[in-house]
Amino acid sequence: MKLTIKNWTGVATWKWVANDDNCGICRMAFDGCCPDCKLPGDDCPLVWGQCSHCFHMHCIVKWLQSQPVNQQCPMCRQEWKFNNK
Amino acid sequence: MQEVDVQDAWIFINKIFPILNSSYPTVYTKEEFYKAAKIIKELNLTCFVQDMVILKIETSLRKSIIPKFWSHFKSPENIKPFYKFLKAIDSLYEDYSKLLEVINALDMLRNINNFDKPIMGEMNIKNSLKLMLKSTMFSQHHTSYDKVISYFYEEALLLEDMDSFSSKQCPICSLLDCSNCETLFLKANGKLIEMSLLGPLTDQALTDLIYYYINMHIQKTCKDNFDTSYIESFEKWLDRVIITWLKKIYCHSEVSDRSIADFDKKLRNYLYNTYTKIRINQLFNIIIEYPDSLAALEDIKICLPKTDLKQYLIKKLQQAVETRLLHLGVSTSDVLTAYVAAIRSLRFLDPSGLLLEVITQPIHQYLRSREDTVRCVVSSLTEEGPNDLAEELVRGETVLCDENTIQDSDENWETWTPESSDHQPSKIPATKRSSDIISMLVNVYGSKELFVNEYRTLLADRLLCQYSCDTEKEIRYLELLKLRFGDSQLHYCEVMLKDIVDSKRINQHIKQDPNYKNQEIPISTMIVSAQFWPPFKEEKLELHPKLLTQFESFTKGFETLKGSRTLCWKNHLGIVDLEIELSSRTLSLSVSPVHATIMMHFQDSNRWTLNDLSKTMQVPPTVLRRKIGFWQSHGLLVENEQDIFLLKEETSEDNIVQDNIIIEDYESESAMASAQDQRDEELQTFWSYIVGMLMNLDTLSLERIHQMLKMFALQGSSVEYNIHELKIFLDKKVREHQLIHSNGLYKLPK
Ligand SMILES: [Zn+2]
Ligand SMILES: [Zn+2]
Ligand SMILES: [Zn+2]
Repeated sequence: MKLTIKNWTGVATWKWVANDDNCGICRMAFDGCCPDCKLPGDDCPLVWGQCSHCFHMHCIVKWLQSQPVNQQCPMCRQEWKFNNK
Repeated sequence: MQEVDVQDAWIFINKIFPILNSSYPTVYTKEEFYKAAKIIKELNLTCFVQDMVILKIETSLRKSIIPKFWSHFKSPENIKPFYKFLKAIDSLYEDYSKLLEVINALDMLRNINNFDKPIMGEMNIKNSLKLMLKSTMFSQHHTSYDKVISYFYEEALLLEDMDSFSSKQCPICSLLDCSNCETLFLKANGKLIEMSLLGPLTDQALTDLIYYYINMHIQKTCKDNFDTSYIESFEKWLDRVIITWLKKIYCHSEVSDRSIADFDKKLRNYLYNTYTKIRINQLFNIIIEYPDSLAALEDIKICLPKTDLKQYLIKKLQQAVETRLLHLGVSTSDVLTAYVAAIRSLRFLDPSGLLLEVITQPIHQYLRSREDTVRCVVSSLTEEGPNDLAEELVRGETVLCDENTIQDSDENWETWTPESSDHQPSKIPATKRSSDIISMLVNVYGSKELFVNEYRTLLADRLLCQYSCDTEKEIRYLELLKLRFGDSQLHYCEVMLKDIVDSKRINQHIKQDPNYKNQEIPISTMIVSAQFWPPFKEEKLELHPKLLTQFESFTKGFETLKGSRTLCWKNHLGIVDLEIELSSRTLSLSVSPVHATIMMHFQDSNRWTLNDLSKTMQVPPTVLRRKIGFWQSHGLLVENEQDIFLLKEETSEDNIVQDNIIIEDYESESAMASAQDQRDEELQTFWSYIVGMLMNLDTLSLERIHQMLKMFALQGSSVEYNIHELKIFLDKKVREHQLIHSNGLYKLPK
């Protein structure tokens, strides 16, 4: 017997590599999207802070805009700095 | 005044009324008659003579004429009824003529003597004779004689309607181009008219005959043929054949017009009734064949107002629906097809929608009780090819998900009448019923969500089974659904389709990457957004190492392409196209990953124990055995000893299954957890509450459990359960011996 696999169509789910499943701001799943978005992934990406917390980008941006004085991480209250890893 | 001897007087009287001496004919001169009349008057015997003559006539009718008349009806079987009746009439007419002479003489006597005592209440004593004739006749009548009369007319009717039989042979005397029989027939009717017997003697038989004839004509004309309208041609036929014939029969009579008009009305009613009944009995089939059967529906619509058959229609159609549609032998998709056809045709028959409601109510209830209804609706909505529901979707009306539309009619369908076909548009009823078919189907459930969820599951299955599926077509289709069910409901499906489109691009990208190692197994990957897909069935499967390295390499490619993201493989999902070359043949198959993995292992080693393979593949032995069965059925694997499987290199002829692509096992199973599974899982969270309640209260009824759950467990939760769902859940627990159900109460096992 000679077995030839002509094509294997596999199925995989994608997910963000993050410490948590949900965004600490909007409480939605990271693998879903923020309340303002319709499409997950590229269209609603995650960002990490130097404090290692991460959020939907849209959520943290909105949060920072609402904090005119101190730009802090909403989880650990450290100064928020984007971690461009 | 000259004295007249009574003896002489009697001789004179006998001379002018020989019937008194039981003899015919009458031979006397005018002078003799006047003389006799004078004598009678002088002796004051007019009344006596009249009574005597009438008595004699009565006796003669009763004892001889009428018995003789009826005796012709009993003559031997081998004489055609046509001739029997003809002879009877001829002999009766002869006797009648003689009696008429007597009556004429009596009339003359009455005139001369100025005597006007009525006979049988009649001043016109010719009518008195007819009355005597008639009453004597019917006093000796027997119902079996009607058959002869019926036959007589039937044969004559066949003669009249010879055009229909395309034969030149006379149905009575069997001669070609006979004209004599019709003359005889018309003469006989003329005699009956003269004796005023045509109506009384013949009407019943004639009516029965014509009814029968109409019935036959309709039956044979419109049998199983729904695409032609017949009502007009039947009306014409009635005029051309039946009424024309009746006019011939009645032609010499002064009552002709009235009799014909009576007949016409009666027969027309019968025609409508008969035809409508036949159509109503075919109505179920007519509905199924809609719209090809539009002509038949049109006829029913025209006829119903002329008849009193609305209740009959409702009853018959309900019965037909019950016996032919609403049982287990009919697949749900067939029920749905019939349902759509019913909506369309009943809406045509009765635009007010009342009839539709009455008939479809039981279908609604039935569909609600079938598990696969939603699935069937959704799949026929999305099916290829001409399809009633899909057509409805393209019409694109939005769903009015108003649960009240079905029950809100307070009109009484007992009084239902079809709208006249020529109604003005402005007369459309004020309460416009929900007539959109898809809305009606959604209303059967009262929930758009259920529909949309089912659609999502089906779409997921379809996408997973055919990665290469026509996404453009699916997207177009989704747009149609969105018009109907709204954007938000279908957003998940949109993401699913986008996943497939994106996957193709990402695959291309990764494979172009020089770091990606193209190994011996070409793979493609569907990368899905788990949050938006229905939950997958979780099954364990350890893939063949060759494939694992391939997957790892793909994952690396993905991670490089999409920062901070990785892949979780669903090993048991997907499709594998493979080719198996044997010495005698080549198999091309599309199979599931577990099937493919089995064969990959058998390529490495041609002997496996069930246990070893189970451990290697991380698949439970029972499941694995079933999957191996697929290859056994293809004659590739064989169970040599208990739990030991061998690769069977040469297949013997009798084991060969067809070589075409077989994806049976694969297709039959959905990769999605079923809606029921999902519901059960949710209900499971309330199980601890239920156990708690039963521990405290010992026994509880279904209603009570439902009530308590609503009060305590479900409060504030978005989950809603109806009592029916709860019952299914509890019954499952009973089957699993976690609960006991007796006397309508649930309790925990000891
Ligand atoms: Zn967020
Ligand atoms: Zn967003
Ligand atoms: Zn932080």
